[in-house]
Amino acid sequence: MRVDDLSVSFRAYAGLVKAVRGVSFHLDKGETLAIVGESGSGKSVTMKAILGILPKNGRIDSGSIIYDGQDLAKFTEQEFYQIRGKKISLVFQDPLSALNPIMIVGKQITEALTLSLGMSKERAKVRALELMNAVGIPDCETRFHQYPFQFSGGMRQRVVIAIALASDPEILICDEPTTALDVTIQARILELIKEIKAQRGLSIIFITHDLGVVANMADRIAVMYAGKIVEMGTSDDIFYRPVHPYTWALLSSIPDLDTKEALVSIPGTTPDMIHLPPGDAFSPRNKYAVALDFEREPPMFRVSDTHCAATWLLHPNAPKVEMPELLANRIRRNAEERIADER
Amino acid sequence: MLITLFIIVTIGFMVIRLMPGNTMYADDPDMSAAQIEVLRAKYHLDKPVPVQYVIFLRGLLLEGDWGTSISLYVGVPVWDVLKAKIPVSMYNNIVSLMISLPLGILSGVIAAIRKNTIVDYATSFAVVIFISVPSFIFATLLQYFAAFKWRLFPIIYDASATGAGKLHSLLLPILALSFSPIARVTRYLRAELAETINSDFMLLARTKGLTETQATLRHGIRNSLVPLANVVIPMFTHIMSGSLVIERIFSIPGMGGLMVSSINAPDYPLTLAILIFYSLVSLVTVLVVDLAYGVIDPRIRIGGRNIE
Amino acid sequence: MSKVYAPDDPQFADLGPERFVLTQLDDSILDAKFETKPIGFFKDAAIRFSKSRVSIIALIVIAIVLAMAIVGPNMNEYGYNDQNMDYINLPPKIPAFAKSGIFAGTRVLLNRRVDALGDTSRYPEGCIVHKSNYQVINGVELCDVTVDYYKYSGVDDDVYFMFGTDYLGRDLWTRVWRGARISLVIAFVSVILNSTIGLIYGSIAGYYGGSIDMVMMRITEIINAMPTVVVVTLFILYFGNGLLSIIMALVVQNWIGTARMIRAQFYRFKNSEYVLAARTLGVGDRTLMSRHILPNSIGPIITRTMVAIPSAIFTESFLAYIGLGIRAPESSIGVLLSEGQKVLMHYPEQTLFPALLISVLMIAFNMLSNGLRDAFDPTQRGA
Repeated sequence: MRVDDLSVSFRAYAGLVKAVRGVSFHLDKGETLAIVGESGSGKSVTMKAILGILPKNGRIDSGSIIYDGQDLAKFTEQEFYQIRGKKISLVFQDPLSALNPIMIVGKQITEALTLSLGMSKERAKVRALELMNAVGIPDCETRFHQYPFQFSGGMRQRVVIAIALASDPEILICDEPTTALDVTIQARILELIKEIKAQRGLSIIFITHDLGVVANMADRIAVMYAGKIVEMGTSDDIFYRPVHPYTWALLSSIPDLDTKEALVSIPGTTPDMIHLPPGDAFSPRNKYAVALDFEREPPMFRVSDTHCAATWLLHPNAPKVEMPELLANRIRRNAEERIADER
Repeated sequence: MLITLFIIVTIGFMVIRLMPGNTMYADDPDMSAAQIEVLRAKYHLDKPVPVQYVIFLRGLLLEGDWGTSISLYVGVPVWDVLKAKIPVSMYNNIVSLMISLPLGILSGVIAAIRKNTIVDYATSFAVVIFISVPSFIFATLLQYFAAFKWRLFPIIYDASATGAGKLHSLLLPILALSFSPIARVTRYLRAELAETINSDFMLLARTKGLTETQATLRHGIRNSLVPLANVVIPMFTHIMSGSLVIERIFSIPGMGGLMVSSINAPDYPLTLAILIFYSLVSLVTVLVVDLAYGVIDPRIRIGGRNIE
Repeated sequence: MSKVYAPDDPQFADLGPERFVLTQLDDSILDAKFETKPIGFFKDAAIRFSKSRVSIIALIVIAIVLAMAIVGPNMNEYGYNDQNMDYINLPPKIPAFAKSGIFAGTRVLLNRRVDALGDTSRYPEGCIVHKSNYQVINGVELCDVTVDYYKYSGVDDDVYFMFGTDYLGRDLWTRVWRGARISLVIAFVSVILNSTIGLIYGSIAGYYGGSIDMVMMRITEIINAMPTVVVVTLFILYFGNGLLSIIMALVVQNWIGTARMIRAQFYRFKNSEYVLAARTLGVGDRTLMSRHILPNSIGPIITRTMVAIPSAIFTESFLAYIGLGIRAPESSIGVLLSEGQKVLMHYPEQTLFPALLISVLMIAFNMLSNGLRDAFDPTQRGA
């Protein structure tokens, strides 16, 4: 799948909100792509555009979403019906509100099978039990007939994953699947997603605001800010060789248990998406902003074959700026630990 | 619930017996003092009010004896009077409810799905009109135009009609009674469904491959019906009180007319029985709705046990 | 794919080093200050309200009816209970409309004998305006006659009744506006009482909580479990059907809704930090309630009040209709409707005016309360 220069905007009470502004990325088969950004950075909107479930006041202004040779950006509701669930599926952020509170979970799983695949009820049930087993729900036969409120948070998320997997999709989009869960359960759900991916050869788009969560999940990472991708590269590129000041800031804000450093936060507030500042949207909060940042948006510059970033700091005429020392130290330490681990 | 009923019966009895100037038969010029004494003794009116109350309660609970009508239908047991009137009134009220629910749900769903279109605006406008204009105004309009001018329906209720004829002669009152409940259900369902449609589980239903229509039908509507039970109780009591007036306008021999004439007669045992009957019906409505909640919402049926 | 450029792409080569000065390396970056001026809650609500055309129209309509209810009954020389047997059941006649056909004081008399039309003792001279629908039944020639009913009844030409008169010759204009006055007084007074009682009761229950709250709420539950018809009927049976008694009958149950709402508001705000802060500063119970918690409830209270007014008007007419409310010769919308109902087939205009009045009032109040709700709580819009 390939997303090209996608722009999405919303009509809101106060004006036009440009939620996504020219986002491009690609997703290879069997790959996990993480999209990281603060809330309001446009990551969820991008996913909704891919699935054609934008709210009624939102629309795709430009760009294309090429999947299997077709452009999803131009799909009608009818055509999306062939894609959703069967080719691309979504795992929601909050499993409690994503499940219908007054329908037994079994039926919520089989529904996708009987209604959109035309499977018989009996076969759908067998398949649903298989799925529930696969996502690690114990005592499936009993659980099949229970309601969502009888499930714990983690179990509910497993149900949501089972529903997403029901029609055997090729791409699974996980929209902050662990945010609403306890920390201990988070790890188990992440483990489950990794397992499922390996078993089924899924491609995964993993959306999160927490870089820590994707550290050992993602093959590639795209960092989004104010509706744009600001840096994209392999997991190693982002964690060990970040070049964009925003990525630096994000990485610095991950708590580190090994040292006694104070937690670093990103100063300032996210920009007003209706009246964006001229130039780079991050510049007002950017310690390393150059004069040009306030006039002109930086283009995507290539760092290596797998790595690119949108910052003027990469321009040959730019001053040589090193990442904050604190972060540099931390990265060095992590790298050493990893080498030690590998031995 | 039984306690509430007991309180209502008690207050009702006391209020009616302690009414200012309520010395039954005392001022009847046609009867001699001795006759009055006999009558008062017969209906236990010569005893203190608390004793009367105990006698009344014992009769009601043990023998189903609601007392005897003292002026409208002299000597006829109150229950026999009620027995003749209740079916007529309940027929109107229940048919009206049966019409209102599906029609209101249907138009509410349509308005919610077509939210912010001309259909929705037209529905909202009609809803305001039908909720605002009292049912007796509609009754008068219908009676004047549909019955009197165009002669499509009888002007007043035809007691001798049966089956389809009965429905035909009751259609106008039932219609007049139904406008406001239809509008209420419509307004409520539109709001509920419009909210449910935006919920995550509707989105999930679509991402797992259901069409928008399937998602709305299977997940949206059923879920928005759950809180509808909240409006059904006040709606039914509203219909019942509305029918007091409607019955008068169309001369339907039901509870409405009986209540008014029993108050004006005055025929206190009858009034008391009617009031108790209305309380009973509204309590039963509450009960039915509570039970319906259990059927429709598993969270209540299973008692909210949360298995962690 | 949007383009990825090499850092030395010629396209950007002309950007000189002077453009790449680090401008805020040493500045400390702070959260942006709030730049827009905060608008007060009520100002905000007022702005939203005034933007709704429907609400403004409703407000104007209500204002007109209120004004008429005040001045209407005194606009002509007839009192609300001045009976005049010479002026019975006259149709509406308004001077300016005399020629137009409606409100001209005319009425159609059906199936009159044609041969009797010349009889000036039955049809005074000049009273016949129009004849139509000639037919012969049983050898008698009949026709429908449009007559100037004022001349027909022998009323002087310069007498006008804008809404006509009733079966006792009372001026309906006076009676309709007096009826509106009575109905509105009942509605407003009962609603104000409801809100006041509900406010005090709900505040106490909500503020003190605990067992006080439990007992107080238990009481409201019992009162509320009784059907309204039953409560109102008992009340009026006991206290009679005077104005005050009817107002009180409308209060018995209706304050409970306000009380519950206020209580809920108290529960929401009483443990919030700003209230706690005020308490630690030594603010007393009463000030806490009135200055810190209650202002949050003003929006919902106003909205509730506006919903309660039309329902009080409805209940008043309803009671008058079943003979438990205001009684003739006093006037109220309900009294007029129930009197009009008796002669609906013959003189529908006697029902028309009170029916129109109550419908317009109810619609206007409902529209107004919708508008107020949207203004105070925009999240509820359209619900």
